[in-house]
Amino acid sequence: MTTFFQLVVVGISTGSVFAIVGMSLVLVYRATGIVNFAQGVFAVLGGLVTYSLSQHMSLVLAGLLAVLVTAIVATVVAVVAVGIRGRTTHLASLIITVGIAIFAEAVLLAAFGEVPRSYSAISDRAWNVGGVLVQPQYAALALVALLAAVGLTLFLRRTIVGQALVASADSPRAAELIGLNLRSIAVIAFALAGALTAIGGVLLAPTVPVSYSSGLTITINGFAAAVFGGLVSIRLALLGGYALGVVEQLVVGYIDPQYNLIIALAVMLVLIGWRSRGELAV
Amino acid sequence: MSTLDQRARRNRRDAIVRVVGVVAATAFACWLPFQLEGGDIGLYDRMGLYALVAIGLTLLMGFAGQVSLGQGGFFLIGAYTSGLLTVGLDPDSRLVDPDAGIDPVLAVVAAPIVSAAVAVVIGVPLLRLRGHYLAFATLAFALIAWSLLYAQDRFTGGQYGVTVTKRLELFGHQMSGASHAALVWGLVGLALLLSTTLVASRVGRALQAIAVNEPAAAASGVNVARYKLQLFVFAAALAGLAGGLFTFYAQFLGPEDFVIVLSLLFVVMVSIGGLGSFYGAVIGAVTIVYVEHELRELGTRGSLLGWDLPPQAPSILSLGVFGLMLITIMLFFPHGLLPGLIGAIRSLRRRLGASRRSG
Repeated sequence: MTTFFQLVVVGISTGSVFAIVGMSLVLVYRATGIVNFAQGVFAVLGGLVTYSLSQHMSLVLAGLLAVLVTAIVATVVAVVAVGIRGRTTHLASLIITVGIAIFAEAVLLAAFGEVPRSYSAISDRAWNVGGVLVQPQYAALALVALLAAVGLTLFLRRTIVGQALVASADSPRAAELIGLNLRSIAVIAFALAGALTAIGGVLLAPTVPVSYSSGLTITINGFAAAVFGGLVSIRLALLGGYALGVVEQLVVGYIDPQYNLIIALAVMLVLIGWRSRGELAV
Repeated sequence: MSTLDQRARRNRRDAIVRVVGVVAATAFACWLPFQLEGGDIGLYDRMGLYALVAIGLTLLMGFAGQVSLGQGGFFLIGAYTSGLLTVGLDPDSRLVDPDAGIDPVLAVVAAPIVSAAVAVVIGVPLLRLRGHYLAFATLAFALIAWSLLYAQDRFTGGQYGVTVTKRLELFGHQMSGASHAALVWGLVGLALLLSTTLVASRVGRALQAIAVNEPAAAASGVNVARYKLQLFVFAAALAGLAGGLFTFYAQFLGPEDFVIVLSLLFVVMVSIGGLGSFYGAVIGAVTIVYVEHELRELGTRGSLLGWDLPPQAPSILSLGVFGLMLITIMLFFPHGLLPGLIGAIRSLRRRLGASRRSG
């Protein structure tokens, strides 16, 4: 039973990253209608920039700067992904972000090399809770995911900017009529989501080393979490991320480590298929 | 009434011109490899294999409005289906019994069938959804297929791969080197004929109606979901066939030949030629294979413009160039690079002609 709880604890921590990426995808999708295929790249960028900067400064400062750098990169991604007004469809935007993800791999490979990078965790001690080891890094990840979920929900429901984000995706034409600039909306959403995902990446790298090519797997796991909530629910994306992480760890612990990605993806396929009963193509 | 007659006659004439044109071009494409040498034959063969995949994908993207990021997965399934059937499914008897497998021709025939069957299973629940679901689901499928190569390494050889020594034999002729390339390009021609005929037929009118306005098409009695599924399955079968033939081109199957980026490269090929343009898909495949080859040459040179290149330079160059290509094309030529350029040249000529007349 201890093994089971240990796996669940680790699962919730890795699942938190999926949840963070999933909620970022939801935020961008709700504001722009675009599914950002390059979202996972932001997590990688956060981790790798932190690693490089931490050679010259304290880890905390390096992490903060990495989040800032990623947010700035995300604004550029936003402008490119939104494309040309009236010409770039949402499907075209998705393909553009696929291009950005490919291009980003080249840039990351050139800038940081191919070796997966990691650095020291918040603390190297671990709490012993009834035989289950809980590292502070795990707790931090789970906490950030939870705080992000609460923060994003309040932001989208209670603030003017948040409501503007939602409104502009619901009805772009009406949003423009009341004076919203769709490009600025997209930039805000991408930057916020980029910063959030970068925080996830910065916290992830000490437990799972990241390399230039990790982005794809992170994106697809995040998408699986987001699909759990139909790409629109922050709360369900959070739960989906946790659930996915736990399932993957249980597969690692009880079945075969080689199957964790396979099972996670299969779960996602089934989830999408199950969703398909509700939502029809437009 | 007479205009209808004229139109019917014109359509028939167009169809004949199309068929004759494709047949002539295919004959040339099949003759060409016998004039090429060594490495060029391999490159040319690969162009044809990828063209088969791209033709299927352009049909799906152009007419179903759906993008698959997992054609590499169907290509992989086709390749391992034909490869494993040829060497024998049972890993233990493979090494001791040279007759363990089935005839390579049957193995190649099985490849598209297995890929198509997998496509039916994935496609039925997913094609009713918005585009991004199928995009991610097909990518997930491709990742699963790729991960299974490692997880089921008893059958697939894992990272050490499978060596296929048996050759493909058709009517007593061994299909290797130039003759393999000729066979592949012959099939490219066949796929072109099939696809263009499909689009020009009753099915094609339904497809075009779906592409233009899906709800309207559905309202006029077109079974949208069924047509989309057929396109998806056809595209998967073409990718499977290409994979099945790849086995006898490479004679070795390893995970490196089926990396996930390959699936994304097929999308780049289609975007070059234009969504729904079959000839464009062929040109896109030829372009990408050629550019990738040139970039690899460039990246392994050691230094470029006075800069020392790192060992990963070939990957950096090809990922960078293909990523940028996809971004630029989708931004500025969403209907395809070729159609976009042709349109731009036409409007430029019109403008020049107009200014000449007025001046």
